[in-house]
Amino acid sequence: MRIPIRMISLATTFFWIFLIGFFISAVYSIKDVQFGFEEPQMKLTSDNKILFSLPITIDNNGYYNIGSFNVTTEISDKEGFMIAQGSTFISVIEKGRQTVTTHNVTIDIDDLLQNNQNYLFNDTELEVRETVGMKLAEVIPVQASTNLSMHWGAPLYNFTLGEIEYTPYNLSHILVAVPISFENHASFDLTGSIQIQIYNSVDISVGEGQITIEAPQNAPFQRNVELTIPVTQIAEIRYFEVYFSTQLFSFGPLVISYD
Amino acid sequence: MTEEKKNFKKHLQKFTFKALKATLKAILLYGIYFTLSIFLAPVSEILPGFQQILETFVMVYIILMIIGELTYGTIVYHFLNAAKALFVILYMIFALQRGIVSVTVQNVNLIVDLRLFLSTAILLGLLGFAKSTLQAVNFLNEKAEHIRL
Repeated sequence: MRIPIRMISLATTFFWIFLIGFFISAVYSIKDVQFGFEEPQMKLTSDNKILFSLPITIDNNGYYNIGSFNVTTEISDKEGFMIAQGSTFISVIEKGRQTVTTHNVTIDIDDLLQNNQNYLFNDTELEVRETVGMKLAEVIPVQASTNLSMHWGAPLYNFTLGEIEYTPYNLSHILVAVPISFENHASFDLTGSIQIQIYNSVDISVGEGQITIEAPQNAPFQRNVELTIPVTQIAEIRYFEVYFSTQLFSFGPLVISYD
Repeated sequence: MTEEKKNFKKHLQKFTFKALKATLKAILLYGIYFTLSIFLAPVSEILPGFQQILETFVMVYIILMIIGELTYGTIVYHFLNAAKALFVILYMIFALQRGIVSVTVQNVNLIVDLRLFLSTAILLGLLGFAKSTLQAVNFLNEKAEHIRL
């Protein structure tokens, strides 16, 4: 019986040394792996969506390859509704090599407005869940996750129609100037048009006007929309319908009553 | 009287040898632990309780080993070896939180999946336990044969 016992002893010792040695070297080599997250960039895609890009550099100077490296970003509102999701996956980061990748997250504002129109007019805070996962030495799965808060700046913040001014146009019509103002708090420039329709008490459109807008980010915008309405309808004005059409989204009607 | 003295001297010599062997083994094991702990320093920085867990493990293991060495040549030695193997298994399960280690450091939740490592360690622990059981059986067998002769 001594020989089998000796063999078990040898095998156990060998495997213990191998297991501990492998585990410790895998853990120790983490210190030679550097992750570089550069400044996130934002741009518009050809299909008019907002694209957030995060360049990632991974310097693997450890003893082993890193397997199944993945970065996932989930952006949701305070109620937990998923606004955008992006994932980047690298199957193997070889040892002694530098890997550069870009993690992209696309936000479709049209989709966003389907959920809540307030994103156009009110600033808010969005929840961002960032998850980074990998397999150390292609064997030990490790995952780090964190929750961040991201400020959402409304592109049409504080959108208001000002005091209407009337100017005679001709005998039958009058020129109406509707001052519109807002601040573009978004992280992108806003270009497009705003159309206003005026309705009377029986829901019939009595006038219509349109202006083009060019509002750089973090800048206020103020202009008048001019339109003509029949003189007889001045006392009948009840509400406005506002339509927005920009390169990123189309929205309308926004109904504003006339007091 | 002289025979008794000789026996006492012999027993004392044996015990001293065992104690010396146990001390050397303990020093060697602690030396290995000390060296490995340098390599595991990055983990200790991330997991605050890791060093404590490791130290407790090494301490209990060394104590069991010293007692085992002192009882060498008796059935207790094999029982202690089996206990040592079981201790390794149970402590691993306890310390590695059944294989999924989760820590939160400054709003970052870190999860390490060590189930594969744990399963292998448990298998090796069981192999060690089986070996100790076989050694105990072999010890009793040899003792029985010796008495019969």
